[in-house]
Amino acid sequence: MADTMGHSATATRNNTSVALGIFVLALAPQIFELIWSLGTIFGWGTGRGPVAALIGHASALFAGAPGAVFGSFGGGAKKLSSDVLLALMYSYPLFAVAILTLFMTIKSAQDYVGGIVLMALALFALWASSDLQGMRGFSFGAGTAPRMFGGLMVALSAGIALTGLLYDGPSLQHYSWRGPLFVMASIVFFALAIRPLGLIVSAFASFLIAATGSHETRWVEAIIVGACLTAGCAVLFPYILGLPMPMLPRFLMQ
Amino acid sequence: MDLFANLAHGFAVALSPINLLMCLIGALVGTLVGVLPGIGTIATVAMLLPITFGLPPVGALIMLAGIYYGAQYGGSTTSILVNIPGEATSVVTAIDGHQMAKQGRAGPALAIAAIGSFFAGCVATILIAVLGAPLTKLALAFGPAEYFSLMVLGLIFAVVLAKGSVLKAIAMIVFGLLLSMVGSDIETGASRMAFNIPELADGLGFATVAMGVFGFAEIIRNLDAGAEMNRDLVQQKITGLMPTKKDLIDSTPAILRGTVLGSILGILPGGGAVIASFAAYTLEKKIAKDPRRFGRGAIEGVAAPESANNAAAQTSFIPLLTLGIPPNAVMALMVGAMTIHGIVPGPQVMQKQPDLVWGMIASMWIGNLMLIIINLPLVGIWVRLLRVPYRLMFPSIVIFCAIGIYSVNNAPVDVILAGVFGLVGYWLIKHDFEPAPLLLGMVLGPLMEENLRRALLISRGDWSVFLTRPLSAVLLALAAGLLILTVLPVLRAKREEVFTESEN
Repeated sequence: MADTMGHSATATRNNTSVALGIFVLALAPQIFELIWSLGTIFGWGTGRGPVAALIGHASALFAGAPGAVFGSFGGGAKKLSSDVLLALMYSYPLFAVAILTLFMTIKSAQDYVGGIVLMALALFALWASSDLQGMRGFSFGAGTAPRMFGGLMVALSAGIALTGLLYDGPSLQHYSWRGPLFVMASIVFFALAIRPLGLIVSAFASFLIAATGSHETRWVEAIIVGACLTAGCAVLFPYILGLPMPMLPRFLMQ
Repeated sequence: MDLFANLAHGFAVALSPINLLMCLIGALVGTLVGVLPGIGTIATVAMLLPITFGLPPVGALIMLAGIYYGAQYGGSTTSILVNIPGEATSVVTAIDGHQMAKQGRAGPALAIAAIGSFFAGCVATILIAVLGAPLTKLALAFGPAEYFSLMVLGLIFAVVLAKGSVLKAIAMIVFGLLLSMVGSDIETGASRMAFNIPELADGLGFATVAMGVFGFAEIIRNLDAGAEMNRDLVQQKITGLMPTKKDLIDSTPAILRGTVLGSILGILPGGGAVIASFAAYTLEKKIAKDPRRFGRGAIEGVAAPESANNAAAQTSFIPLLTLGIPPNAVMALMVGAMTIHGIVPGPQVMQKQPDLVWGMIASMWIGNLMLIIINLPLVGIWVRLLRVPYRLMFPSIVIFCAIGIYSVNNAPVDVILAGVFGLVGYWLIKHDFEPAPLLLGMVLGPLMEENLRRALLISRGDWSVFLTRPLSAVLLALAAGLLILTVLPVLRAKREEVFTESEN
């Protein structure tokens, strides 16, 4: 008896965290835009300021979208803003899924979560292509095919999520953070540094950043190999292959 | 006879010094990639795409083709000697090949793998030459409706032949199709799903996604696995490469069967070298008089899959060269390489670019010959390369990939996008989604949409056009039949049996 109770307790806790995850996923585009918009304070990038973005999304989520839902019953057919559409097409369905998740027994978290995330992607694609023109008579508009495939993907991912509920399967796999973090850091550093700092500096630094991603790295060895590789690339790409590339930092070139 | 004239022309092109050199480089790089675990054919071809900018188109494609079939050779070497398949295609070779090596028969195993591959390569080369022209004629009878149906069939094949859940594979294809729609619409010029980001206006680069999903994701995944992989090197010196007479007699029918099976599976869209080697091994085990020998060093278990994967690697060029439809992810990258050089793959390539097509076909045979000559003596060097620890290899691969992507468009954003797709790929692996169908969907996306639009425009919006045109109806019926067959319980069990082979 105690065994069963313990089992059901872990299952519920799992469900809650999965549901919470889906809830965050439902708000991910809004959160992303908000973080992105912080840059506009310093004059980076374009787009709305953080205040405008926050107000826009909050009003869309709490007022605009419910209004649109009830308004459609009343026959009001005014054009919806893209914030309201995002809330309606993306966030609300995922909220519903998150709430439903609480009441489900998930047999294979791997499939269930995989299906839901894919569904989120498909819903997002549907929203992103919602401003495009649809069918014009019998000829395809720009938005027809994206909507077709987006709809198909929603259905397929729902099917995958359903198999996660119906059939036993593996649970979520363990993610490690060290490898992805440092490999990504190395890639991003390379992308940002190649223009201003040139190939030699950015390749060598990126090599060392990436090497940090493994706990087996021995530094002396890594520095020697990194230096050799950088030298090799500095000869191979610009000279042998003739691909134009900045070699040295810009301030040294001037 | 046209065929011989064409082949002679091809050999004249392929034997020019520059093309011979390209062929050699391709074969060597391919072997290297095949030997090293942790870096696959797809990532390598993607990585080397920018390098081919400066080369003449014929040389570039000869080199890329060499990498593909060279990798099939290299993969077998490490499978046999160290039980580490460098490529997915040689996973099954490791089962019996490594057992043979443990029994001190590494030499004959390597030799049979090389002979089988060479024989399969020869047959496949001839097959491409023979089938090329008639299939091109057939392709000319294809309208947009037929093209669309053919691509549907190809994608369904890709699903059926993919590992794991059918539903997940289809979802991956559709995801690929959606990704292919990012950017400007070809017909109206409207910007689709680009969020006013100028770098996305041109669409997601195919090489970028491939490198992320196959290159970076693999690296991250391998780091996850942590600790050095268990490498029980066969230390003793390899003596006596020559197989005995009995080996030859035993393996000849296996090589023949493997070649036939591989050639067929290679031509089918969605097929390719991986499934061919699995299927060939299963077939050998099924028809063997004493199936218990398999897994304990049966030479047929080396001969058949090695011939099959090489045959399939080459015959998969047939749909690409004749119909312009890439049957698998590597061929999809070849489309990318052709487009870089301004060549539109399709039936017209055979007529407009005879140098390219026949030169490439002839170079495949030359490349196979080179591989058999250079590889057997070089075995020692390849094995020594395996001692390079992964902790030094992976940062090098990351840097090389990053420089490679940057040089495609000189765009730093591409590098970041590839990184993002690396994370996406890592996530996909964790949730047991196969990334290969995604890539195929992404390549076929624009082609499919264009043909679908055109077909419906011609038929004035009548969807029944896909069923009233006989050729298209047959293709769609095949696709539907295949899908139903896969879902049937009997075949489902069979399909799983083929793929579980490597696990026991």
